[in-house]
Amino acid sequence: MTMIQHHPADDLLLALAAGNLPGGPSLVVASHVEACAQCRSRMQMLEAAGGVMLEDLAPEPLSPQALARTLAAIDALPREAARARPVGRLPAAPEGMAWPQALQSCTATRWHWLAPGMRWSRITLPADPQAKLFLLRIGAGMKLAWHTHSETELTQVLHGSFHDGRALFDAGDFDQADGGIHHQPVVQANSECICLASIEGRMVFDGAIARTLGALIGM
Amino acid sequence: MPTSEELNDWVRAVAQAADRPAFAALFKHFAPRVKAYLMASGTPEALAEDLAQEAMVMVWRKAAMFDPVRAGLSTWIFAIARNLRTDHFRRDGNRLVDGADHESDDIADPMPALDEQFLTTQREASVRRAITQLSAQQAEILRLSFFEERPHSRIARELGIPLGTVKSRVRLAVNHLRRMLDGFEP
Repeated sequence: MTMIQHHPADDLLLALAAGNLPGGPSLVVASHVEACAQCRSRMQMLEAAGGVMLEDLAPEPLSPQALARTLAAIDALPREAARARPVGRLPAAPEGMAWPQALQSCTATRWHWLAPGMRWSRITLPADPQAKLFLLRIGAGMKLAWHTHSETELTQVLHGSFHDGRALFDAGDFDQADGGIHHQPVVQANSECICLASIEGRMVFDGAIARTLGALIGM
Repeated sequence: MPTSEELNDWVRAVAQAADRPAFAALFKHFAPRVKAYLMASGTPEALAEDLAQEAMVMVWRKAAMFDPVRAGLSTWIFAIARNLRTDHFRRDGNRLVDGADHESDDIADPMPALDEQFLTTQREASVRRAITQLSAQQAEILRLSFFEERPHSRIARELGIPLGTVKSRVRLAVNHLRRMLDGFEP
């Protein structure tokens, strides 16, 4: 993988470390952190700051029976084997790409047709079905319609690369776009591109057809 | 106050021997702090009491996954409490506090281990030192970020400062911590 150039801003990493990001954005940022040694190291530091703050809080006494109740709950735990972890379903990944671990409990729809060379899939988080989280799969050399965002879109490039006029975004790169950015991502010619995107608000497309498509798929 | 070596011994005894006295010692130290953390972040007391006990059940269940090379015990328990809190509020449909796939604590870190447990202890001590050296404003933003479930836009409104100022204080605080910890970056 090439060097990762684009990282989430510190306020996003801090919000992830503190547990304050909504489901969709937290999965996109977590997917980046998995892929990026620099951000993993920063997350370790921020979580350690959380640990220090936990140590320093004035203890809040529990009820006198709290320990006995907790031990009773431990005695009632099912055996390890009985506790199957929920496993989601994701579409097949192209050769050489693995889905982020952060998505392992999510379920994605099959690839839907969006336009020639463009497909999309909606991801459902088991505990947050309202989250607007999508996979976009765009063929090599394709252009997305010019668009801007009514609020914030977070994107993690999982495979391939695109250039949006501002910069090149390669596999592993992260992008945060909001209403101040009006762009037309162009996928590079050598490979198709797969992105994970969390969208707050709507994407606002310039053209009538693109606008209709955007409305159809809820973007 | 137990030393970090004592705490690590206790969690190892829980993992290897289901040692109840060791668990009771961990409970005595951490359960009241987890409850305080939950209450500081806006959880009502009765719920904080329940969730603190639930967090300690997780500590029992996951004790074997605690790796002192990756993180200090208080950091590991902070992450358990944080995930429990976001999972709980997510189940209740509270959009503000929401989180990622929290079983991710179970996944082995693909990063090569940071040498030895010694380094982790050092890192956590350095983080503690760095936090005490933040400016009052940066420390406040960091504290509000961890202990209030409010997004930065709301923190900005309540402190009466622009969102950009909150973001730049976050950036300064994180930069400061990172500079202090430079030796621990990969």
